[in-house]
Amino acid sequence: MPITSQTFVRTTIGLMLVGLFALLAIVGTTIWLVDRTQTYFDEVVEAREARTAAVDLRTAMQDIETGQRGFLLTGNESYLEPYNTALGTVLPRYETLREILIPYPQAAEPLERLREGIDIKLDEMARTIELTRAGQRDEALAIVNTDQGKALMDEARLFFDALIRAADERLTTGVSDQRANALALRWAALIGAVVIVLVAGGSAVIAMRYTRELAKARSEVEALNQGLEERVKERTAELGRANEEIQRFAYIVTHDLRAPLVNIMGFTSELEASVAPLQALATRADADDQDPEIQAARLAANEDLPEAINFIRSSTKKMDGLINAILKLSREGRRPLRPERIELQSMLGATAAAIQHQVSENGGAIEIDADVPPVHSDRLALEQIFGNLMDNAVKYRDPKRPLRLKIDAKQALGNRVIIEFADNGRGIAAQDHERVFELFRRSGSQDQAGEGIGLAHVRGIVRNLGGEITLQSVLGEGTTFRVSLPRDLRAVVRSTTS
Amino acid sequence: MSQEARQVTIVMIEDDEGHARLIEKNIRRAGVNNEIIPFANGTEALNFLLGPDGTGEVNQGRHLLILLDLNLPDMTGVDILDKVKGNQHTKRSPVIVLTTTDDAREIQRCYDLGANVYITKPVNYDGFANAIRQLGLFFSVMQVPETA
Repeated sequence: MPITSQTFVRTTIGLMLVGLFALLAIVGTTIWLVDRTQTYFDEVVEAREARTAAVDLRTAMQDIETGQRGFLLTGNESYLEPYNTALGTVLPRYETLREILIPYPQAAEPLERLREGIDIKLDEMARTIELTRAGQRDEALAIVNTDQGKALMDEARLFFDALIRAADERLTTGVSDQRANALALRWAALIGAVVIVLVAGGSAVIAMRYTRELAKARSEVEALNQGLEERVKERTAELGRANEEIQRFAYIVTHDLRAPLVNIMGFTSELEASVAPLQALATRADADDQDPEIQAARLAANEDLPEAINFIRSSTKKMDGLINAILKLSREGRRPLRPERIELQSMLGATAAAIQHQVSENGGAIEIDADVPPVHSDRLALEQIFGNLMDNAVKYRDPKRPLRLKIDAKQALGNRVIIEFADNGRGIAAQDHERVFELFRRSGSQDQAGEGIGLAHVRGIVRNLGGEITLQSVLGEGTTFRVSLPRDLRAVVRSTTS
Repeated sequence: MSQEARQVTIVMIEDDEGHARLIEKNIRRAGVNNEIIPFANGTEALNFLLGPDGTGEVNQGRHLLILLDLNLPDMTGVDILDKVKGNQHTKRSPVIVLTTTDDAREIQRCYDLGANVYITKPVNYDGFANAIRQLGLFFSVMQVPETA
């Protein structure tokens, strides 16, 4: 199944989103679980602290009681050592425990009772010790015997035991919670990793398939492209061959036409040469002027034969001109072009100088404005184009006004240069605008010598140079020929021959 | 070497009878009276020049001057030129190429193959006649070696 670029983009984005969500889930879960671990840990620490504080307080209480009892039994002050030592620590230790248990409101009430118990107990012990010191040991023992202190102590012990048990339980559950938490973390990471691996794998598979298809498509395009280039090359070669063929054809035809023409002209001359003796014979003075045969022969020798020969002569001359024109065109087409650097201004100036005398004879003027960078083209071809166009301007000027020929060259898009030849000559009728470029076709009154090959020749050369020539004209006002040429013939030659 | 033996024979290979006739007429007008043997196609001309065996030994003692047109019905004049100049018996005979073709490459090729003169037939008859007559004058003074 081929993957379109749209599905590819969609699938990839979808997979990336899934992967992103999986990653976010892993990160979120981890943060949450770590947070919980922290909480558990804090609780465990609290429980341990509570337990330690409880044990410490209990020890202190027991120490005080032990010291009191020893003193009561013996009356010896040294037994009061633990009592004295522990007495100062009981209240601070109680405070510590109370502070630890602040977050547990259910412990507030027992703590309050413990505090009261501790006060009463300490009070009682202080009193018994005072009494013993004062020598009233029996009274002190009587106070002890009330069992009030023992009951208080038992109650405190119960409280401590409960507290320690609770702390131990908390420690146990804390550890197991911690373990469960670690397990959950592991699972979350594992599931997330699996999802990410799946997503990454899926993306990789899709990307690879897409890339493979792209590569395949590209090689197909390249193959097509190759074929296209081949075809273009073939066509170009075919066109080149066809063109060559036409040139060759024109060349052969004109040569083969020339051979019979030589005969016609040659034997016409022979005929003419032989007419002279005939004329001499027919006009001999001693001939009988009244003989109709002599008269007919005289007419034939003096008028009919020379007339026929003249017509043959003029026709063959015309035909010779036409053949030469075709020959010239075909030869121009076969001439290899030699691109060189050419300054249009100076070349146009030189061409104009060649016809300057004809122009100034009639009070005319040529104005050249060709301020363009130099072009690379065939010198001979350009000279022929410019020469022909300027000759035409002179030849077909309007006799009623002096010739004004304005030649203007400027750069154009596509690395081209456009040269305009604008005259104020007799102009060309609209229906002849295309016709004047055809071989042997002329326009307007046929009062000038010519065979009608000039513009056909010019168009042939211009096209050979990779350019085009067009004209704009109003009959009776003037004509503008517009020659568009590539600035660099080398590029044109390269692209058509390679 | 007798006078008879030194008489130069002009071999004219020209398929156009009219041209052949005009050439002959104008050569005669120049006062050249040498024998002219015309051939209208290449095969017959080669038969004569190289003999039926094609070796060229037939030319023993001949003095030949060859006028050659390039456009022939059965072969091109270039082939004949090549064979004549390539044969040791005929290679010293002067060959004058007289044709309508004025293609630069063709001219070059003819000289490369050993043509002695290349003349383009002028279409203008006066020019043509003049050229042939001058060629005739040229014949009357030029020396042609005996073929081996």
